[in-house]
Amino acid sequence: MNETLTQEKSIYLQISEMIENDILRGILLEEERVPSTNELSKLYAINPATAAKGINILVDAGILYKKRGIGMFVSEGAKEMILKRRRSEFYDQYIKKLLQEAASLGLGKQEIIEMISEAEEQ
Amino acid sequence: MSTLVCSNISKKYGDKEVLKNVDLTLEKGKIYGLIGRNGAGKTTLLSIMSAQNPATSGEVTWDGERVWENRNALNHICFSRELVPSASNNGVGTMTVKEYLQAASYYYPNWNRELAGELVEKFELNVKQKITKLSKGMLSMVTIIVALASKADFTFLDEPVAGLDVVMREYFYRKLLEEYMDTGRTFVVSTHIIEEAANVFEEVIFVKNKGILLKENTEHLVERCVKVSGLSEAVDEATKGMEIHQVEVMGRSKGVTVLLKEGEQIAPNEKLQLQPVNLQNVFVALCGLEE
Repeated sequence: MNETLTQEKSIYLQISEMIENDILRGILLEEERVPSTNELSKLYAINPATAAKGINILVDAGILYKKRGIGMFVSEGAKEMILKRRRSEFYDQYIKKLLQEAASLGLGKQEIIEMISEAEEQ
Repeated sequence: MSTLVCSNISKKYGDKEVLKNVDLTLEKGKIYGLIGRNGAGKTTLLSIMSAQNPATSGEVTWDGERVWENRNALNHICFSRELVPSASNNGVGTMTVKEYLQAASYYYPNWNRELAGELVEKFELNVKQKITKLSKGMLSMVTIIVALASKADFTFLDEPVAGLDVVMREYFYRKLLEEYMDTGRTFVVSTHIIEEAANVFEEVIFVKNKGILLKENTEHLVERCVKVSGLSEAVDEATKGMEIHQVEVMGRSKGVTVLLKEGEQIAPNEKLQLQPVNLQNVFVALCGLEE
């Protein structure tokens, strides 16, 4: 939760990603309360509506759930859900981008595969 | 829900028209950023909305009541004017900080002395000092104190961070958010230092050409704006029919800032570079100098 916000990406997306990262890294455990909208707003000096938007994305995805009057909590199985989704996004976010950059450099498929094997050996 | 509404506001100073047919609705419980170039009419708009300045035509209403000379409505509205370091502030200049804050406490029925005191201390202001003797930054501090301590439902701050150092600017925005979360008051903040305030504003209002160019959720606006660059033909092809701004051409390359409409999108390909922009970029693209 203590990463620095960048201007390159929507703040609410960064908020939801940071909470996800904390769940993946075991900083936030399942069935544990996550920081409130107001706490996030104070920590990052952002509008609470923006913080709420970031949290609501995770509620809609079932990663967080609301306990009335107490706050937001990490759902059981949240970590697994995040892993599953991030693996499927890996294709769009990394593989497609990799191929795009490779194409503009004139690198072929074989060369890319060789580079991956090489990197793995190091 | 409480609202403050401008209907068809126009304002002329002599022959010079500053605002023309402005319609604007402010909702209770939001922090708005009011952004426009120098002389765009921001201060005039705020002074009209707070009945400190009569409109040439049109009307401002608070919950349906006319605001002009209406004490009941004005009890809910605070416009903390930017103070200028000269004796010309209608006699304000000869007052001390203490006297100025005291005058404000009489004017605003919900004045919070503790908050005013806390801020005076935090800003390390000498309350015995005359307003004329204050630096630019200290004058901003005084206007911030009046705005926050007024506890008015609709509070306008005109250039509150002008002259403040970065530590105090950050302190101000945190304090503003804290006050907002505690009370749900509405704030309108005008500033030229856009980027550091962007995350604080739920909505932004751009003022241009004597009117409101747009009023939109900040994130939504920034998300629909994208910088496209690459080979001229490829850029033209990808942005055909779209609203483009800030065209820059150099040799075979071209860069444009696109404001996407609902449903529009630009497919990335290896001939194009797509980059996100920040609020300041959006403002410069939409309100910058024309070629």
